Amino acid sequence: MEAPLLEVKDVTKSYFENGKEFKVLDLIRFELAERDFVCVVGPSGCGKSTLLRIIVGLEPPTSGQVLFEGSPIRADNPQVAMVFQSFALFPWLTVTQNVELGLEAQGISPEDRHGRARKFIDAVGLTGFENAFPRELSGGMKQRVGLARALAIEPLLLCMDEPFSSLDPLTAQNLRDEILQLWANPDLPPKAVLMVTHSIEEAVYLADRVIVLSSRPGHMVAELEIDLPRPRNRKEPEFYGWIDEIYSLIV
Amino acid sequence: MSNIGDDVGRKTPVADFRSMSKVSVGQILGLVEAVDEVGGVADVATIAREVDMDIDRLGPILNAAEFLGLVTVEDGDIRITDLSRKLLSSSVRERKKIIREIIDDLPAFRLVVDMARSAGAALGREEVIRAIADRVGSHQAADVFNALVYWGRYAELVRYDSESEQLTVRVAPT
Repeated sequence: MEAPLLEVKDVTKSYFENGKEFKVLDLIRFELAERDFVCVVGPSGCGKSTLLRIIVGLEPPTSGQVLFEGSPIRADNPQVAMVFQSFALFPWLTVTQNVELGLEAQGISPEDRHGRARKFIDAVGLTGFENAFPRELSGGMKQRVGLARALAIEPLLLCMDEPFSSLDPLTAQNLRDEILQLWANPDLPPKAVLMVTHSIEEAVYLADRVIVLSSRPGHMVAELEIDLPRPRNRKEPEFYGWIDEIYSLIV
Repeated sequence: MSNIGDDVGRKTPVADFRSMSKVSVGQILGLVEAVDEVGGVADVATIAREVDMDIDRLGPILNAAEFLGLVTVEDGDIRITDLSRKLLSSSVRERKKIIREIIDDLPAFRLVVDMARSAGAALGREEVIRAIADRVGSHQAADVFNALVYWGRYAELVRYDSESEQLTVRVAPT
């Protein structure tokens, strides 16, 4: 049988200070398959951002392991891309240059870089802003650059760490909807999305599956299939039912 | 059926375009989505609560959405228009096209297009700001200029190089 895209196997993370152990994450275990949009949700202090850093290979787990297509994850895996809360753009580079940067690191030829940058800048609705600098963009557009840069490497797995929490509520909701539009297009990467958020409503709005973490140390309290049809309406009782359920699991 | 967007903003003075400064495409679309989600009509206070923004922050976004013909505001009720519904059911690319059709005819854009045409060359930032200042006063000219660049880029109507401060009008994109 083919290995799942991502396997998080009994991941534990502890920090040690003066010989004392501080456990941040305890026995996290789940899998991601193709076409999964999974949100990890939990209160602050549940270690969800640490978990994401471990999953993309930026930090080693204390025990357990993360497998990507059956092999241990590496931070330089070009099949995994990341979108950050802070956008992480270079202010002295234009939109196109920011998007091309990740491609350059992969040794892709200049012509291919231009073509790919153009394709994904267009996909996220930024055509017209190619030569703009980040300071000339609204917050939502900055995050679109972050998204275009991540998608341009054509990853199998897209990881997002609180991608909407630096945006005002209206911009955030608009971007969520446009990300779902992109996700609904199977011709575009990625094959799966793993997103971390503190917002239960956001998780229920976006995800096929929600992994609920509780704090100190972060441990899984539930893995829920959100079977609501799309597009989802946040005003419907079924939607609220899910939010209530997750709240009751965390509190 | 009349297209509600058709007449909105068309005959408005250039100065009115300043309602488009300091708001983003995402905010306007987000507002329209929020009103749509509660049934297409809601009072301002309800929407402010729904989206967790006070009137100071919501006001400019509401004004810009109204200026574009995407909502109407009457007796404190916000109502989305047919144009909004069309926008909501469109893809990212189609949305740009719809916004382009709305703003292309606005006097503020016509001003720049006419200037570029008679100059037959790229326009310098200062030159455009001077022309805007003649119509809106110098204290608002830079804001209107920045809004023209932002919305013009989004709608793919203008190109602007902020290093050389040169603005060009694009030929109609396909």
